Amino acid sequence: MESLIANLAHGFSVALSWQNLLFAFIGCMIGTAIGVLPGIGPVATISLLLPITFGQPATTAIIMLAGIYYGAQYGGSTTSILLNLPGEVSAVVTTLEGYKMARKGRAGAALCVAALGSFFAGSVATVLVAASGPLLTSVALSFGPADYFSLMLLGLIIAAVLAQGSVIKSIGMVVLGVALGLVGTDVQTGQQRFTFGIPELSDGLDFAALAMGMFGIAEIILNLDRPEARSALTVKVGSLYMTREEVKRSIPSVLRGTALGSVLGILPGGGAALASFGSYMMERRVSKNRHEFGTGAIEGVAGPESANNAASQTSFIPLLTLGIPSNAVMALMVGALIIQGIQPGPRMVEAQPDLFWGLIASMWIGNVMLLIINLPMIGMWVRLLQVPYRYLYPSILIFCSIGVYSINNNVFDVYLTVLFAIAGYLFAKLRMEPAPLLIGFVLGPMMEEHLRRAMLLSRGDPMVFVERPISGTLLAIAAIALGLMALPNLRKKKEEAMAG
Amino acid sequence: MSGRLLRRGMLNAAALLAGTVAARAHAQRSDVQPPERAGAGAPAWPAPGQPIRVVVPFAPGGTTDLVARLIAAGMQERLGGTPVLVENRPGAGATLGSQFVASSPADGTTLVMSNVASHAIGPALYANVRYDPVRDFTHIALVVSNPSVWVANPRSGLHSLADVVRRARSGRGLDIATSGAGSSNHLLVVRFTQLAGVELNHVPYRGAGPAMTDVIAGVVPLMSDSLPSASAHIRQGSVRAIAMSSAERHPGFPEVPTFREQGFDLVSGSWFGLSGPAGLPATAVERLARAVGATLAAPEVRARLIETGGTPGDMTPEAYAEFVRDEHARWAALVRASGATAE
Repeated sequence: MESLIANLAHGFSVALSWQNLLFAFIGCMIGTAIGVLPGIGPVATISLLLPITFGQPATTAIIMLAGIYYGAQYGGSTTSILLNLPGEVSAVVTTLEGYKMARKGRAGAALCVAALGSFFAGSVATVLVAASGPLLTSVALSFGPADYFSLMLLGLIIAAVLAQGSVIKSIGMVVLGVALGLVGTDVQTGQQRFTFGIPELSDGLDFAALAMGMFGIAEIILNLDRPEARSALTVKVGSLYMTREEVKRSIPSVLRGTALGSVLGILPGGGAALASFGSYMMERRVSKNRHEFGTGAIEGVAGPESANNAASQTSFIPLLTLGIPSNAVMALMVGALIIQGIQPGPRMVEAQPDLFWGLIASMWIGNVMLLIINLPMIGMWVRLLQVPYRYLYPSILIFCSIGVYSINNNVFDVYLTVLFAIAGYLFAKLRMEPAPLLIGFVLGPMMEEHLRRAMLLSRGDPMVFVERPISGTLLAIAAIALGLMALPNLRKKKEEAMAG
Repeated sequence: MSGRLLRRGMLNAAALLAGTVAARAHAQRSDVQPPERAGAGAPAWPAPGQPIRVVVPFAPGGTTDLVARLIAAGMQERLGGTPVLVENRPGAGATLGSQFVASSPADGTTLVMSNVASHAIGPALYANVRYDPVRDFTHIALVVSNPSVWVANPRSGLHSLADVVRRARSGRGLDIATSGAGSSNHLLVVRFTQLAGVELNHVPYRGAGPAMTDVIAGVVPLMSDSLPSASAHIRQGSVRAIAMSSAERHPGFPEVPTFREQGFDLVSGSWFGLSGPAGLPATAVERLARAVGATLAAPEVRARLIETGGTPGDMTPEAYAEFVRDEHARWAALVRASGATAE
């Protein structure tokens, strides 16, 4: 414990040098900006800025890049809440309640709880990284393919409960999402599936194109259906900050989201996305105001936003302790470190104490900075909602097009976005929720990959899913969840809750 | 310092001047070229203010991307400050970005990081590749080549290729992870099983990162990986290197024996270099090759490449073109033998 405090003190002495503070600030500013611009993600930005870091000291470079990463997480929630535009997987969930809150005139409160919840979750996760990083790594390593499969199966089953309205429709959307997720090259055999000879499809459909089309742009088309006077201009700005009641309602959700996010973030591969989905589903089940879900419940913003920020901090653990990147941004960080001649891994704590502890301290400093940057800007963001459609929508479309194009530098993804926007509009008209489709799209292919890998390793013996303790437990929970759904009186209750 | 900068500036100016004269001579000769080619050509090369784009046909963050950014920075310095920008155009096993460059104007401003996937394996693996990796490009320079290395979990009991063969023949067989079906690391596994007359249970992953995670965790005991992505883990001792696919032992890892030393005549690896569309002006090829050569010769770049397990390239444009031709023929045969096609 004492050594932890001494180490953290050393970390702060590194992170608080004027140069590192400046670059943490620059990173947070850039991150917030690209998070707000739909489609331009941290991966593209960090790769563009990599050459700048070649000439910087390693600690400064990594502090700036980390600032961009969590700055983007903060900024991404802003467009999700205000414009129904998720730029990343983890932001999809924020649109569900956040955008509804904005429609009710509580945009300020939603932005506020997103910022404060993220700050709290980030602070807790930072301490966790410092105190028990190496220990938690062994937890991550104990997850085999069978365990991942069962975890995702559990996620998919609970996803069917996510949508408002008909369970049949939401199962249909999950299945359609899985089917869309299977487009591309099969990992096991290298065969191309559902690509129709189009080379651009051989790496699968792009998530940002799908999400932006189905959520944001479809929403724009829907709004064009109605006269302008009835939508954006009538949105009341409301009080900018949270009411006492809203604060009280958010606290338990933030705590639960932080706990869940911290755990799931450690798992290599998509931790942050699972964390925000998981937290939303949990809030929907356990929060006192679950009847308000679907109409703009603050718990549905507080929980997932805390969860995804906690997860994005703890996802540094596998990187710092094993040298294993858990997502594309972390892969870029490894690259940046290797260019600097530093090998991330178990020995980094001893070999590069300045870097290791400096980065951890700067994570927390970055969170403080983001709060300082974001809270005063809430008023400005909320006023964005009063911009007339004829100015707002063309600009959104332009930014979306630029963002989607910049992912692969390929105009094909822009066409895809248009296609999914039309599909999203039709789904909305048919009262089919796009959120379960996105979950199926993300989890389906990962599930298939882990299922087949587990079977390949077990030589075709399916007992591996039951025999492994982690996998067995998760499957048991999934079975209980299914059983509860099937019980008629419980289902009725659920429908009442949905209707409420 | 200012003296050195001044001298470098003068050298650059001189080089620019020489380039201009040569480009003029070229412009006169290019009268006979088809009009669309001649129209795209600028009188000087590189034309003032016109940036050079280096297309990396992979997503940002990979080995190729990182080295491309390192080289681009060095080239910019040696091309009189002409901006050299890296642009990622990933997709379809690096063939999308290569296709884009093959059909770009041959004026030396659009180049590609040609590599083992896009220019040797991909055209054999994918039915819908519309370019010829030899005829549709002007190959300029080999940048780096990397051997493959087989790494084992330290608790797996695998110490040599003899252990691998023995375990493969035992009742349960042996699993081997790779970064993906159809990768050069996978095709090395195919070649090994042919030579050794054994079966290995191939477990492909979506990239080297998740595969390495499972090898460290002991889910899969063995992996065929590229040296740059495995080198950090070998140095840390989280995995054990048992065989290297280079002809000689690698200077960064002199303790790791080669496949040849262990009785398997296998030399293989991944590589990438700089290429442009077919019919690049000779002046551009010459200046680009010189810029790459000088960048690779710089001690700090060299040290970084060797440290991560790469071998800096040293080939004339003609030698690199010959090399691409040979590699394309060799890998195409292996792809056919592996039975992997992505149609």
